[in-house]
Amino acid sequence: MIMRQGQQQLLLPANPLFIWGSLLLALFWVMVQNMGLWGRAAWVPDLLAVVLVFWGVHQPLRVGVGFAFVFGLVIDVHQGSVLGQHALAYTVLNFFATSIHRRLLWFPVPSQALHVLPLFFTAHAVELAVRMMVGGTFPGLILLLAPVIESLLWPIVSVILLLPQRRAPDRDDHRPL
Amino acid sequence: MPLGTLDRSPPPFFRQGASALSKLIVCSALALFLMVADTRFNLTQPLRVALAAVVYPMQWLVLRPVLLTQEVISYFESLKQSQSSAEMARQKLGQQSQRANQVEQLTLENARLRQILQLRERITTPSQAAQVLYDSADPYSRKVIIDKGLLQGVSAGSPVLDERGVLGQVTRAYPSVSEVTLVTDREQAIPVLNVRTGARAVAFGDPTANANALELRFMASNADVRVGDVLTTSGVDGVYPPGLPVARVDKIERRVETAFAHIYCTPLAGVDGALHVMVLQPISGQIAPRPAPDIPPKSVKKGLAP
Repeated sequence: MIMRQGQQQLLLPANPLFIWGSLLLALFWVMVQNMGLWGRAAWVPDLLAVVLVFWGVHQPLRVGVGFAFVFGLVIDVHQGSVLGQHALAYTVLNFFATSIHRRLLWFPVPSQALHVLPLFFTAHAVELAVRMMVGGTFPGLILLLAPVIESLLWPIVSVILLLPQRRAPDRDDHRPL
Repeated sequence: MPLGTLDRSPPPFFRQGASALSKLIVCSALALFLMVADTRFNLTQPLRVALAAVVYPMQWLVLRPVLLTQEVISYFESLKQSQSSAEMARQKLGQQSQRANQVEQLTLENARLRQILQLRERITTPSQAAQVLYDSADPYSRKVIIDKGLLQGVSAGSPVLDERGVLGQVTRAYPSVSEVTLVTDREQAIPVLNVRTGARAVAFGDPTANANALELRFMASNADVRVGDVLTTSGVDGVYPPGLPVARVDKIERRVETAFAHIYCTPLAGVDGALHVMVLQPISGQIAPRPAPDIPPKSVKKGLAP
């Protein structure tokens, strides 16, 4: 097994239940942001997109373009936006995530965040282009903040979502985690 | 190192499934197809309703803690505040009571006069109360979600009011919730009547970001409109019952170079924070059908007569 530069340890295999659980949790969080916290503000980061890119990079065989499409449809129905708008954005996002997954993980986590920033910009640009074409209100330049916040969330998300894979291979009662 | 430490199944060499690029092409084509079907042909409502039935349990689940928090916050709202709001409501009721008590008599009188004049009966619209659950998350439109849907008899096209005026119109009805497009949405148009002059016009949502206003379009630059004029629904569209307050004229720009004046209005309904609303049934089901168009006599083309 080739250890990547800067990688501390070999990771345990990812639990599929954990992958799907984290995606569902991100979906719930997106709903909470909308229903309880910030309404329709344009700068709100899309945590589901971050988690989808994360698993698209770390487990490209498990979370592929098709699942991103389905999650996009669910978000479209939840938001009442044009059907297919988020589906297209997430599809493009996951495709780019899959195409950079071999290179991205060789970088330290902060520069990974810089690498995924263009991806999030692309996804938001796709949504904006679609909505401007079918006649929507331009939400203002504050929209530019969303991809920046999303890529700032990348280090946090990658630390949290890799925690279960970083556990010790043989259980140690003195180190429960 | 125990077994199962590493992902031991080797990555498949030959059967890797479709490549990411082909998946991208298929999925984007599907998404494009869905978008066209949604915006141009309005074919996707059944798919939306089916997906909404799947999403609704999740939304319901997520909404519980949100509503609980709101309830807790409103519980700790100070006693003084609730007393003052009750006092204000009572004052308003007092102001309205005189007019409200006269309504019965006026309706009777109106009905008799209409009978005498042999006019058509005024339409009464059945309504039901609903609660606004949350703002729709789409930043490109102005919509809210209410807690009544197809199961409660709400249909797409129903006008929605709050206590101050017209809030909007139901544009999509799902089984248990529906989506209300606010009057300030760019796509939403509402026929209005200027109460002072009796002139009819059409108000559109203001397309600029964060404006939360309406725009009275296609009014001549010398039209008789003043700041402070109240606009009510005119009832000519067969959707909104006539006489409901919509907006107040806020700003008028008359420019020399354009034939139309720019007239901006603020909505009277609380488009930012409406909580309890009334959903009316669209009056289109009750008004008389259009008369059949007169078939014009076939025109004889000149020079081709036998």
